[in-house]
Amino acid sequence: MSTQDKSQEAGAHFAIEGDLTIYRAAELKELVFSRIDNASAIEIDLSKVAEIDSAGLQLLIAAKLEAMIRDKQLHFVGHSKPVQEVFDLCDLGGFFGDQIVIFPHTVH
Amino acid sequence: MGALVRTETQVALTQAAEIQQYLTFALGSEMFAVGTLSVKEIIEYGQLTEVPMMPGFIRGVINLRGAVVPVIDLSARFGRNATQITRRTCIVIIEVPTGEEKQDIGVVVDAVSEVLEIPASEIEPPPAFGAKIRTDFIQGMGKVNGKFVILLDVGKVLSVDEIAALTGAAGTNAPKEAG
Amino acid sequence: MNLDEALKTFIIESRELLEQMEDALLRIEQAEHDPEIINAIFRAAHTIKGSAGLFGLEYIVAFTHVAESVLDKVRSNELQIESELVALLLTARDHIGALVDHAAQGEEPGEDSHQHSRKLIEQLNIYLGHKHAAPTAVAGTLVEQSHKVEREKGEGVETDNWHISLRFGTDVLRNGMDPLSFIRYLNTFGKTINVVTMVETVPPLSQLDPESCYLGFEISFQTDADKAAIEGAFEFVRDDCQIRIMPPHSKVAEYVDMIRDLPEKEMRLGEILVQCGTLTAVELEQALRRQAQSESSAKRPLGEALLEQKVVSPAVVNAALEKQKQVKDSKTAENSLIRVDADKLDQLINLIGELTIASAGTALVAQRAGISELQEAASTLSRLVEEVRDCALTLRMVQIGATFNRFQRVVRDVSKELGKDIELVISGAETELDKTVVEKIGDPLTHLVRNSMDHGIEPADVRIANGKPAKGTLHLNAFHDSGSIVIEVSDDGGGLKKDKILKKAIERGLVPADASLSDKEIFNLIFEAGFSTADVVSNLSGRGVGMDVVRRNITALRGSIDLDSEEGRGTTIRIRLPLTLAIIDGFLVGVGKSSFVIPLDLVVECIELSDEDRRAANERNYLSLRGQVLPYMRLRDMFDVSGEPVRRENVVVVQYGGTRAGLVVDTLQGEFQTVIKPLGRIFSNVNGIGGSTILGSGEVALILDVPRLVQQVSAQVEKNGLEVA
Repeated sequence: MSTQDKSQEAGAHFAIEGDLTIYRAAELKELVFSRIDNASAIEIDLSKVAEIDSAGLQLLIAAKLEAMIRDKQLHFVGHSKPVQEVFDLCDLGGFFGDQIVIFPHTVH
Repeated sequence: MGALVRTETQVALTQAAEIQQYLTFALGSEMFAVGTLSVKEIIEYGQLTEVPMMPGFIRGVINLRGAVVPVIDLSARFGRNATQITRRTCIVIIEVPTGEEKQDIGVVVDAVSEVLEIPASEIEPPPAFGAKIRTDFIQGMGKVNGKFVILLDVGKVLSVDEIAALTGAAGTNAPKEAG
Repeated sequence: MNLDEALKTFIIESRELLEQMEDALLRIEQAEHDPEIINAIFRAAHTIKGSAGLFGLEYIVAFTHVAESVLDKVRSNELQIESELVALLLTARDHIGALVDHAAQGEEPGEDSHQHSRKLIEQLNIYLGHKHAAPTAVAGTLVEQSHKVEREKGEGVETDNWHISLRFGTDVLRNGMDPLSFIRYLNTFGKTINVVTMVETVPPLSQLDPESCYLGFEISFQTDADKAAIEGAFEFVRDDCQIRIMPPHSKVAEYVDMIRDLPEKEMRLGEILVQCGTLTAVELEQALRRQAQSESSAKRPLGEALLEQKVVSPAVVNAALEKQKQVKDSKTAENSLIRVDADKLDQLINLIGELTIASAGTALVAQRAGISELQEAASTLSRLVEEVRDCALTLRMVQIGATFNRFQRVVRDVSKELGKDIELVISGAETELDKTVVEKIGDPLTHLVRNSMDHGIEPADVRIANGKPAKGTLHLNAFHDSGSIVIEVSDDGGGLKKDKILKKAIERGLVPADASLSDKEIFNLIFEAGFSTADVVSNLSGRGVGMDVVRRNITALRGSIDLDSEEGRGTTIRIRLPLTLAIIDGFLVGVGKSSFVIPLDLVVECIELSDEDRRAANERNYLSLRGQVLPYMRLRDMFDVSGEPVRRENVVVVQYGGTRAGLVVDTLQGEFQTVIKPLGRIFSNVNGIGGSTILGSGEVALILDVPRLVQQVSAQVEKNGLEVA
């Protein structure tokens, strides 16, 4: 299992590990959706995302939108390097509104 | 060249070890057999188109469901008389490997008899001499009910290269003079 | 996920682009100075690089990038193109080709290939005059120096950046593409200043189909590349995506247009453009106001509305409209062409072959049944099948030009090898023939071309001594002639020496010492097996093949080869091939119990053999056709057909390659469509028979090898003269 779960009472914290790509998009959609469904505050740890593509990015955007519509809190934390790179490329940091810890070596 | 020949022999040997089923047929008073793996089908003799200036053992060509297939008179190929056509005359369609491709060739036989299983232990090597046909045509001698059946090496008997060489020779010898 | 398909397309397109590159480079070498040619080469390299990047083929990207940089300098006139550079670029092109081959085989190139890459990059870098800097830096500095892009001043917006608007199609992800990689790729030849991701097009998670693509981007992009180059980046997704590329300083009006075209709300788009830095807030306000006005002005075209407001000059509008039209035209041309798997086409042609046979069979049955309605229906069917057949065959027809053009390179390389100055002249490039034939004539043609260059065309000093121009000319020509295509390879070289050939042929025992041969017969001896010898074949043309192999290859295609030569003036080799290898119109004749088919294209007329000619048949080998002498041959004798001839024999007059001959047969059985079936290797040596076909009755009929028969008849006449009784 590539996702770890630490259930909390009102909220949920879990991590997506490995590839966040088209190959797993369907599987991850179900997972993320069920978490949003079952909690009012969700925190998704992206520190172990090894690879992210357009399908993965789109999934994160859709999750955020879903949460916004349903008035729930959704935060991404611990953005891994590949995630940061994509957020940078698409200038999406503002949209997600999460704090991104920038490691010194990625500063440009 | 040497390597090539060796490979062919090896193939023939492995085939001999694996194939135990043979289609037997009559040619005159003798029984011959070919491995069933190389037999594609058996059809009635009929509607054959002669090709001019061919050596006697090439009967002509037939239409096999859209493909044009050459037909060989096996008896004539062995240097005997041409096969007399009777009601029982058949054409056995045999798949002959030629290089990387396969060529279908029809073979005229007097009558097809049956499919037999001949265990490898009942097959003897071709006689060094004394056979009535070229020994390189013979793959082995199968013993069936105390009688010998000649197992043919179709790659040799129906060697496309050899036949093409023979037809070429026949073509050049044929009268060319016009008018 | 169809990555394999996409990769296949990449390989095919890259190879096409490489061919165009080669062609263009050779044209430059021929001193054609058209900036468009340079642009074409640059674009080809650029597109290959871009597409290779999408597939992560770093070894292609890295190498092509350097070549592209050199081309860019040529394009901006910073670098003069001269023959040495063309030669280097040709080598680089070949190397890209080799790298693409590696990609096609799905393998990483080996160390020697990398070494070759490095060596070429070194050579290319000399032209760049420096150790090559990172692409972004180059873009940044060049922007200031050279504004090659058409930029309209005054009315344009302020920014120096391009604006790219992307809306990816739903199936992009499923087709194995990753939109992010396109944006990453942009950063290899420029810099994305601002990217706005269109999050509003993405549905909330509950409605998301995770494998569909909903992404869109508005990008402000800084580069000195041109529009075509930017477009090239999106080559692979062009068809299913909406892509808009606006040059720097585009007019506000154009943004208005763009905003109107996009699905999102106008206000939001406008804000995005401001966010991108493409428009200033003032410009946006202006744009929106104008748009509102133009909408109120009764749906007049925007251009017209702007004109009225005197916002832009008429010239600008016309230019813009012209441009739009061009884009539209090129789009239609592209859309009207589709790629089809050649195997599918072959399968179709085979099926039509079967259909033709079945239709002939139906016609036969209808005739026998004697029901007139059925006969009528059958004949309608035959006519339609015939049309379908012709149509299907044209699908496989291709122009020979592409094949001819490949020889530009061969001639160039071989000239260099031989140290001769030889020019290739091509004519008849638009002549069409069947793809299956085209594929098979490459090798024989190469051999003939090399042979002419090697043996035909003399060294420059000999040519000058003989009062000829120092530069030799090799001419490739093609034309249609009565159901055949004729391909000529001619040179203005020294021609063949008859006595030398004859002497050699006698030495080799190919002809008896006392043979009296016509000029043509002597020339054609060089096609005999066993004629080629060491002192005729140099290491160049004699790469294991002689002229006999060339002839055999041509004959295998039901064609013929023939040679004319004049000593001191040159040699012309003429290849005559059937237009198609699959289906022909046949003319059925009977001799005894056998039926033979003569290709209808070759039949001139049919006449009855007169009693007089028949009586004279034993004494002479010709008959008189309206006062003309017509040599003939009796198929009955030729093929040794048993039985007595019929009382009234017929003569089928055939013509091949300018020679007429009569073929005497028993009966004429009429025309019908014939599917050619190969007779196979066993019958490869049969004289006078070219193939076989299946009649409507299911019976096999043999197709006469008319070229061979005509040749034999005329050889007979040349040898013995006309034997007059």
